[in-house]
Amino acid sequence: MNEKCTGFEPTSTMPRRQLLQRFGMGLGGLALADLIGAESAASADGGVLTKLHHAPTAKRVICLFQSGAPSQLDLFDHKPLLNEKHGEQLPDEVRNGQRLTGMSGNQSSIPLAGSPFKFSQHGESGLSFSETLPHTASVADELCVVRSMFTEAINHGPGTTFMQTGSQFPGRPSMGAWLDYGLGSENSDLPAFVVMNTKGKGGQPLVSRFWGSGFLPSRHQGVRFRAGDDPVLYLKNPAGLDASSKRNMLDALKKLHELQLVKYSSPAIETRIAQHELSFRMQASIPEATDLSKEPDHIFELYGKDSKTPGTYAANCILARRLAERGVRFIQLYHQGWDQHGGLAGGIRKQCGETDQPSAALIKDLKQRDLLKDTLVIWGGEFGRTNYCQGKLTANSFGRDHHPRCFSIWMAGGGIKGGTTYGATDPYGYNVVENPVHIHDLHATILHLMGIDHEQLTFRYQGRRFRLTDVHGEVVPDVLA
Amino acid sequence: MNLRSQTSRLLLAAGVVGLLLPDIALAQGKISFNRDVLPILSDRCFLCHGPDEGTREAELRFDLEDAVPEEVIAPGHPEKSEFYHRITSHDPDIRMPPADSKLALTKDEIDILGRWIKEGAKWQQHWSFISPQKSALPKVNNADWCHNEIDHFILARQEEAGLSPATEASKEQLIRRLSFDLTGLPPSLAEIDEFLNDDRPDAVERVVDRLLKSSAYGERMATDWLDAARYSDTYGYQVDRDRFVWPWRDWVVRTFNRNMPYDQFITEQLAGDLLPDATDEQILATTFNRLHPQKVEGGSVPEEFRIEYVADRTQTFATAFLGLTMECCRCHDHKYDPLSQKEYYQLSAFFDNIAEAGLYSYFTPAVPTPTLVMTDAATKAKIAAAELDIENAETALKALADSQKTRDAFKSWLESKPKTETSIPGQIAHLDFEDAAKGGNESVDGKLGKAVRLSGDDAVGLTVGNFRRFDPFSVSLWMNTPDVKDRAVVFHRSRAWTDAGSRGYQLLIEEGRLSASLIHFWPGNAIRICTKQQLTTKQWHHVVVTWDGSSRADGLRIYLNGDVAECDIVRDNLYKDITGGGGDNLAIGERFRDRGFTNGLVDEFRVFDRQLTPLEVNHLSDDQALTAAFDNSTADPDSQKLFDYYLATVDTDCQAQLSLIRKKREAHSKVVDSLPEIMVMREEPTRRETFLLKRGAYDARATPVFPETPAVLSTLPDRLTRNRLGLAKWLTQPDHPLTARVVVNRLWQMIFGQGLVRTPEDFGRQGLPPTHPELLDWLAVDFVEHGWNVKRLLKQIVLSATYRQSPEPSAESFKRDPQNLLLSWSPTFRLPAEMLRDNALTASGLLVRKLGGAPAKPYEVEVSFKPVTPDKGEGLYRRSLYTYWKRTGPAPVMMTLDASKRDVCRVRRERTSTPLETFVLMNGPQFVEAARVLSEAVLKQHADDERASVSELFRTLTGRLPTEDELKILAELYAQQLEYFTSHTGKAAEYLKTGQRASDASLDANRLAALSTVANALFSFDEVVNRR
Repeated sequence: MNEKCTGFEPTSTMPRRQLLQRFGMGLGGLALADLIGAESAASADGGVLTKLHHAPTAKRVICLFQSGAPSQLDLFDHKPLLNEKHGEQLPDEVRNGQRLTGMSGNQSSIPLAGSPFKFSQHGESGLSFSETLPHTASVADELCVVRSMFTEAINHGPGTTFMQTGSQFPGRPSMGAWLDYGLGSENSDLPAFVVMNTKGKGGQPLVSRFWGSGFLPSRHQGVRFRAGDDPVLYLKNPAGLDASSKRNMLDALKKLHELQLVKYSSPAIETRIAQHELSFRMQASIPEATDLSKEPDHIFELYGKDSKTPGTYAANCILARRLAERGVRFIQLYHQGWDQHGGLAGGIRKQCGETDQPSAALIKDLKQRDLLKDTLVIWGGEFGRTNYCQGKLTANSFGRDHHPRCFSIWMAGGGIKGGTTYGATDPYGYNVVENPVHIHDLHATILHLMGIDHEQLTFRYQGRRFRLTDVHGEVVPDVLA
Repeated sequence: MNLRSQTSRLLLAAGVVGLLLPDIALAQGKISFNRDVLPILSDRCFLCHGPDEGTREAELRFDLEDAVPEEVIAPGHPEKSEFYHRITSHDPDIRMPPADSKLALTKDEIDILGRWIKEGAKWQQHWSFISPQKSALPKVNNADWCHNEIDHFILARQEEAGLSPATEASKEQLIRRLSFDLTGLPPSLAEIDEFLNDDRPDAVERVVDRLLKSSAYGERMATDWLDAARYSDTYGYQVDRDRFVWPWRDWVVRTFNRNMPYDQFITEQLAGDLLPDATDEQILATTFNRLHPQKVEGGSVPEEFRIEYVADRTQTFATAFLGLTMECCRCHDHKYDPLSQKEYYQLSAFFDNIAEAGLYSYFTPAVPTPTLVMTDAATKAKIAAAELDIENAETALKALADSQKTRDAFKSWLESKPKTETSIPGQIAHLDFEDAAKGGNESVDGKLGKAVRLSGDDAVGLTVGNFRRFDPFSVSLWMNTPDVKDRAVVFHRSRAWTDAGSRGYQLLIEEGRLSASLIHFWPGNAIRICTKQQLTTKQWHHVVVTWDGSSRADGLRIYLNGDVAECDIVRDNLYKDITGGGGDNLAIGERFRDRGFTNGLVDEFRVFDRQLTPLEVNHLSDDQALTAAFDNSTADPDSQKLFDYYLATVDTDCQAQLSLIRKKREAHSKVVDSLPEIMVMREEPTRRETFLLKRGAYDARATPVFPETPAVLSTLPDRLTRNRLGLAKWLTQPDHPLTARVVVNRLWQMIFGQGLVRTPEDFGRQGLPPTHPELLDWLAVDFVEHGWNVKRLLKQIVLSATYRQSPEPSAESFKRDPQNLLLSWSPTFRLPAEMLRDNALTASGLLVRKLGGAPAKPYEVEVSFKPVTPDKGEGLYRRSLYTYWKRTGPAPVMMTLDASKRDVCRVRRERTSTPLETFVLMNGPQFVEAARVLSEAVLKQHADDERASVSELFRTLTGRLPTEDELKILAELYAQQLEYFTSHTGKAAEYLKTGQRASDASLDANRLAALSTVANALFSFDEVVNRR
């Protein structure tokens, strides 16, 4: 009998009543799995999909979410025209009725602003990066930079919610929750969906909805790993109790539950026993997974100086790799501070200083462990930034407002075609002119890489089959290797 | 193992087809359209052949009988029906549903459809759209088993299926079950003993009555309602500030305890403000509609979020009261149910008509309007007295002005030939713009010398202007607009526009007209007047705004070129201060994130700390009115203007009275301005136009719509007004097809863990049909017939034999009906989050039984995603209902235990089982501390008797005595832990230190610690965690 688990409890061996309990009202979801019609589970770990829809190229995802919306114009999407027209007004025919946020929408003047950074080409593929991303540039040939992302949201809350859940408004399950629900975990001793955020960063607030399970059962929500010695809520034994005490307590409970089983013969009691045992194992497996003390020096060097400080983006990148190695399905990082409404040049430098090296190191590290081939890494924010200046355009300081019509992200590994650029924007960097990729398309593509037809991973709620991509989304074949 | 595939087939039948009796009803009897056919048509066909015209294919729809041509479905003849041909064809081009829809029919389903056609292809209206009827009680063989009507329905189905009910639960089980189900708290040992010793035939009923009378009942009932109402102590979205809404939560608790009839409970929450002579309590009830998340994020489009709030109210109404998925029709007609997009917006129109802003205020703590000012009787009396004071002072002023004495004084003053006085008193600032302009502004030729041309992005700041609402003031300026401005800020005293709820005062150009406002929070707490005429462009105008300090719109004036401009009163409801938020001084031509007076000219800007009289205004405008008035030959003793000028600037009695009025207003303001407010509903006098929004987009307005109810349920009768009160009356009509069914079903779910309709959020065609349709209808009708009496219904349910069954299923029942759809044993389910925690607090005696009040902050809020400092003392030990709820970082223990997130209306919680639950129950400080405090009490009582201690612990937590085997296991754990603590010096002290409550030092630390680990472990024991 296979011990592998979804979420936390085995399904393939689960008695029928328990199955029904577990899925509760999600009968539609379970039935759907049966409609797909597989006898054996594709991953033996009990996600709702008993069989993948096609061969996957990625088994897990690391999402490096750059919260606040990094400026594509200063990182990936070079627009020399903006430098030429620096200070001139954004032409109406370029703006073409796009709504502006309330922050710059009432400005009398909206002057174009060129990037203060130099761009150059890197790798055999010749991908273009600004000077602020030297490390990312060094892995250019692994990356697919999508320059034609677009969204409908113009503010952070709706924008991030959209990127993470496929809807601008609260209430839908997040991407990680969908994958957890669909595929379960590869490691029964760790949660399938782990969330980490960089400690001590200000900026646009993160909210737990971003990794929530929406209407999916709540066990699919992301489990947040905190920096420090109690990475999961109350993981640590109470002060004064050691593992042997916990063992005594669990053994006593197990004996009590075995007596209950005689009385009630309920599978839920078996589940409870298993759950207690799993909690005991997790008390060891989570600290083991999150303990960086055994990482060799060259790894810390690879990820940069911050990587020895718990809670930094760099440390979280090492953790992401460790979790990927241990089979965590979806690893979500958040790094705040990309909201450069003003003081853009300094702000971007600072952000890149924190993220550039660790992001690139993660790619290299995964590659050297042969994990990159089936680990999808995604780097990006919730939308783009304007080609014009918000507030006063002065010689040494300017800012960019939110811009939904185009932004850039990069992806690597897990079946992504490295060393490519996909999509293009106009010379003003305002509109997508080639191969637009909507957030729904990105989601469809991510699911595709994981072996899932995005139209077929559904959950029935309030009478409707919901999916991550709502009723939209098309896989972007050109970014696939 | 083939179990899985068997399960699959059964589930397929159960889940998708919606047949809830897996192996019994499937093959029996005649096909029922509603039970057997409609779920298939709805799920597989309606997407393209259903109610939504927008996606309808081949002009075919199967949701209406009349719409299906005979050649498509020939009643009695599947072989002549194109429909049947299509679903059975092997040709992929012909086969329906098409392969790419991924909605393939199973063999069983095709069989059902074929048999339905053969049996005459009769359609029926979907069951839940037809009013419920009380049917006769079904006949049962074992009538002796039945305690009341419920049991007849339940037993009949069991007998039909060849099942029989479980035996009766033990008294210990029963009192524990009753206590949790009705109050959310465990029974005390004394209560258990009393019940065990009560041999009277109505002993159970006595317990039920006691529980229904306890105030804990209201708290338990409120817990579920808070999920439906998406209650939260913070606004939600990104910034997620605290908000003051808990008085509404307390209203819910009180109301359940008072056993308010449910129709009234609904009516007051939907439309309490519209009831005749609405009391504060009834208006407070409407806070229900305002509990949705609210936005403050800078740069957001207010209308986008205002529309979102209206949508949330509409959807909450539909889910909570109708059990319908109205949100499906926000962007298009419903795909499955006969609900159109137009009907969605018609329903939303009921919820659209309040003075609401899309964003709450970032810079001020203003409560988003409309609001209710929270007062008590004493404060109300104080306010009334202050109002009377003002009225008296105003009357006295008028009397003074009208008095002969004053007239005489005026005459003698005139006759004294006063010195011509052309400087106007009270001027506190004057900008003549003769100096070079700063920033992006320009100095240009003006009305007098130079003027400023404003860039729109650069303000000209003053150092005065922070007037309170009772301070009279005036602002005078020359202005010249280059074009017809849609919106432009001329001058203002405020920190920001929407980011501050516009708090302050302002003069704007709106759609070419001048608009002057005093604002606490726009739009519901403000005064605004707007000129009827547009301002002519490229011309100098003299504009004066005067304010009398009255907090009434008639105290605000705009003078244009010397004359009072004819104005519309846009709003006249200012009841709080206009100061605060920052931006304390006047500024000209620009405001934070607002549209400035781009290229507008301004000259001679003057500020006065008094209300100017018309004559003074004339003088400012023509520079000679005063001179002319005093010109001996032209001075007219009958001139009202001159008299007014005299009163305001010369007559000392009158000036003294003016200053008294100001004082009285200040006193009133002092009382009122500090009172807390809560968001409520208040209908606007003029109905706001509501539109059908294409694709649901806030800015894609199509046709206007009017408040109306969905036709499939019945249109609103003409006798009912088209507002929320009319809607509430419609909803609570005795024959409403849904309302009572939805309530009864949710109460059933609360007691049995699952509703009779297992999709309480969806009574539509895609929802699951009821397991016991006749019972649901009987209960719904009975409920209405008995005055929507909730306590009576609950009592009916818990006194049934069905409820009193043992939790142990018979082997036959378990095998035949694993989901326990036929309720042949008492359902077992994990206690909700609140009860798990409250149980630990109650057992340990830590629970603070205080009803209501500000949210409590237990230990867990400290480790939430948005950490908050926990309370000291009492707040740590309140019932979980009161736990501070922060939307962006909800209480993590509650979340781990499946509490609803409260982002949107939820009427059902998932129950999941994860190791994270074990961490919370075993390691969380709340539980560790409770285990220790419980052990202290037990240890004190049983001194050295370990067995008695362990036994007492067990009984306190499970409600029964342990068996000998159980006792042995626990005693062994105790011994092991005693050994551990004894051999590990200091560990006991560490362990006992958890929590704020100090440990009892008089007890032996090792023994206490050892016993505490036993209690600590028991918190995760099956019989503690589950309701059986």
